[in-house]
Amino acid sequence: MLEVIDIHKNFGRKKVLNGVSFTADKGDITCLIGINGVGKTTILNSIMNLTPIKKGEILIDGQPQSPSMYNKIAFIPDASIILPGMTVQEAIDFMKDYYSVWNDKRAKDLIRFFRLKATDKIQDLSKGNQAKINLLVGLSLDVDYILMDEPFSGIDIFTREQIAEVFSSRLVEDRGVLITTHEIADIEHLIDKVVLLDDGAIIKEFYAEEMRENEGMSVVDVMREAFNA
Amino acid sequence: MDLILNKRDPIYLQVIHFLKKEIVAGHLRPGEEIPSRRQLANDLKINPNTVQRAYSEMEAENLIHTEPNRPSKITEDPNVLRQLKSEWVNHAVKDFVSAIRNVDISIEEVTELITTEMNHTKTGG
Repeated sequence: MLEVIDIHKNFGRKKVLNGVSFTADKGDITCLIGINGVGKTTILNSIMNLTPIKKGEILIDGQPQSPSMYNKIAFIPDASIILPGMTVQEAIDFMKDYYSVWNDKRAKDLIRFFRLKATDKIQDLSKGNQAKINLLVGLSLDVDYILMDEPFSGIDIFTREQIAEVFSSRLVEDRGVLITTHEIADIEHLIDKVVLLDDGAIIKEFYAEEMRENEGMSVVDVMREAFNA
Repeated sequence: MDLILNKRDPIYLQVIHFLKKEIVAGHLRPGEEIPSRRQLANDLKINPNTVQRAYSEMEAENLIHTEPNRPSKITEDPNVLRQLKSEWVNHAVKDFVSAIRNVDISIEEVTELITTEMNHTKTGG
């Protein structure tokens, strides 16, 4: 389990995270949603220890953050991370050398899954296909938790569909997935848990299926109520 | 699998409803293998945990059976199938009757309409 406990973060005088707490379980797809931009990426960066937090704690399977913990987590950022001059295969070979938890068989499966070609040069790919390279790298790691920052943002509908297929596939089986998004429509039926973030704090944390069953509300219904939109 | 999901009903119930309809309609035959949890999740673009829940509920109702490491199969128990069919038809009749309750129409006219409609759909219209 990933546990985020009462974390605080300021950028200068601006409070970005103001006591954020939530959990993301293994085997679940947890979706961190905020309608205005601030905070989501900062939370992922905090979990990855890429940005220091002012106060609070982050536990991974009950243990505090430490360098060895990061063999358990893959972070798939929004921005492109691969050298654009490489081919898909060169990028894979580069990552294989870099990561001890690299799973080459899965990388090959993913090329097929995403309908890419190993010989394609990354800079020649569409934005959607470049986003798939990002996912390919993250998903090829044998880790227990996968963090994805806005995997659908700025991507065409067909690529979004292909990316959404990842979540119902074996590729994330038994792993804990935490994704941030502000576009819920594509994945409303795919996610287990929803965490709503507003103004640097969690305003609601719930299981989508329980909400449908007990309240007859869709995820968007709950968001509309919570964000007072 | 052709199922359009709505966003407000629990997805596992929508999946169960859909599979029951397929059984009652004879599209899924007694003893027939059903897709794996993963496969159905992929086809319907839903969470595998949700399909798991739907299948567990259907097992509890004896509608499907699963042996270890084998695909789940539709039950061959005639009593279970008969009961499913009668539940299904009862439901449909109740819905229908409640929809026309306050309409000024005689039972004879309704029976005639139903007969015509059933003949119409049977001849593939």
